[in-house]
Amino acid sequence: MNSPVMIEARGVQKWYPNGYHALRGVDLTVHQGEVVVIMGPSGSGKSTVIRTFNGLEDIQAGSIVIDGIALGDDLRSIEAVRREVGMVFQQFNLFPHLSVLQNLTLAPTLVRGRSRGEVERQALELLERVGIHEQAHKYPGQLSGGQQQRVAIARSLCMEPRLMLFDEPTSALDPEMVQEVLAVMQELASGGMTMVVVTHELRFARQVADRIVLMAEGEVMEIAPAEQFFSAPQHPRSQQFLSQIS
Amino acid sequence: MTADVAIAPTAPQAQGLSPLARLRRECFATPVDGLITLALLAGLGAAVQALLHWALRQADWAVIQANSTLLAVGRYPLGQQWRLWLLTALLLLACGGSWGLLRGRHWPRSDRLTAGLVVAMALMLPRGLALDGAIQARWWGLAALLLLARWASGRWGALLPHRCRPLLPLVWPLLYVVGLVLIGGGLGLQRVTPSQWGGLLLTLLAASFAISLCCPLGIALALGRRSALPVLRWSATLYIEFIRGAPLITLLFLGQNILGFLLPGGLAPDRVWRAVWILTFFAAAYVAEAVRSGLAAVPRGQEEAARSLGLNGVQTLSRIVLPQALRVALPATVGQFITLLQDTTLLSLIGLFDLLGVARAIMTNPDFLGRNAEVYLVLAVLFWCCCAALGLGSRALEKRLSRHAPSSR
Repeated sequence: MNSPVMIEARGVQKWYPNGYHALRGVDLTVHQGEVVVIMGPSGSGKSTVIRTFNGLEDIQAGSIVIDGIALGDDLRSIEAVRREVGMVFQQFNLFPHLSVLQNLTLAPTLVRGRSRGEVERQALELLERVGIHEQAHKYPGQLSGGQQQRVAIARSLCMEPRLMLFDEPTSALDPEMVQEVLAVMQELASGGMTMVVVTHELRFARQVADRIVLMAEGEVMEIAPAEQFFSAPQHPRSQQFLSQIS
Repeated sequence: MTADVAIAPTAPQAQGLSPLARLRRECFATPVDGLITLALLAGLGAAVQALLHWALRQADWAVIQANSTLLAVGRYPLGQQWRLWLLTALLLLACGGSWGLLRGRHWPRSDRLTAGLVVAMALMLPRGLALDGAIQARWWGLAALLLLARWASGRWGALLPHRCRPLLPLVWPLLYVVGLVLIGGGLGLQRVTPSQWGGLLLTLLAASFAISLCCPLGIALALGRRSALPVLRWSATLYIEFIRGAPLITLLFLGQNILGFLLPGGLAPDRVWRAVWILTFFAAAYVAEAVRSGLAAVPRGQEEAARSLGLNGVQTLSRIVLPQALRVALPATVGQFITLLQDTTLLSLIGLFDLLGVARAIMTNPDFLGRNAEVYLVLAVLFWCCCAALGLGSRALEKRLSRHAPSSR
């Protein structure tokens, strides 16, 4: 890998306030343009780790550097990172009181101070790219789950992020809607976006991911190129996990 | 969603029936239903008949006619009452203007009905109150002003530059300040001390002041109660629990004694203002609880999504969390406003001449001995009108805010 480093996580430890030790020294390096899929059984800390990458969870030990910005305790560095990092949630988390278009334009106008007209043009282009430009003036509650998740992806893209995080983006969707969301993500990956994805979708992981990270009990068990991970997993936990889900 | 499903099957059935058949189906479906319907109708009819008989034959409305000014404004100096007429005219102008801007050129049925009601009241009320000719003419003028403003702003409101529109609601707080000056004097106008304010004027003033200030105060308290800063959290909690644990009348008496020390001298110079501040502080604690339940109803993911997009704390609160929380809190908050309006009658117990205070003063007048029922009935109707207006306004606002259809979660 010669491309610049996008995420540099070293020895990340996380305790929840109730004392639960969620991350036990996670090391992970993600390069620009890479697609990394994090897999693992539930409770393995994969969602927690992705949430530390934009400061939604604080860490108690270790260091995280995102695109050259060290994530510290101060709000300024966290907000600086969040401006460059898009996040897509399992529950979509669209703003129900704003129209689809307003969901997209809010942050770019408010945070980046860009002009409304320019942002709206870009937002409509993005909505067209994810295939829902006819719904621009509807409200999130009037859309299906798959459509909502595609809007959520477009909303993040409207901030022109350098890195996209996906936290189980298809887990809350009805089965028939999973594909439309994965297709958007695949298109995004082929456009060169750096992506970290927590997902259980094996086909997506196999086809789109450059590397697979397997986590268990708050630790990284194995990091391997996708092809190698699925054909010849090294770590016993990887073998166990793959045998359980396939 | 579920509501749509539940209503849909019955609606088409009911539409196809003739009125008579529908009446039969809805009110006389079973013998028991029919019996209940008949019994209630008979009771209702008897009550209405008795009330009408009393109102038209036995009641002597002279007590209202002779005291209408007292009921309206208390002992406000006669020579200065033009200020109140002017204020009423300004308020109606703003009402008509807002009304027209909301509706545009069209006059839907509800608007025509309201207009008819305004005309009917302007024609009949002054006569019923036996007001003299000049004052009757003012009533007509005011009604005409309201409808004219509605018509004009509906017709030409669309011509307003787009950039001005967000500023228009500011007319209301501005008008409030103008109103306080007109009522109380200052800026070249002769002073009318609060002890001379009374009747409906004092009731509406106290209620509107408390309502408009308890909202920001209540929101601040609700946010304080959720704050990560312990001192802030404890003080907000302590305040809310203390106020909610004490009866308003106790606080009103207490306020008369201690508010002079607690607030800067200029804010609570006399008994009226002290009482109004206590009403405000009291309502704020209850509004805070309503807002808190609204805040709790906003899913945590909303805040996380906003922060992930780079919004800072203030932006997240003002653009994402509060708009959703206040929508949830609205019905409970308006319920609190209605209670507050009714609670203003407690001012009479600490010796102020609000509507109830004036009414009690009238009833001690030997000329109108034994005319309590007439006075109380008018009072009840006046309060009912104000509360109904608040309720209608809140329902309209709710409808406007929930036009986004079902929430996304």
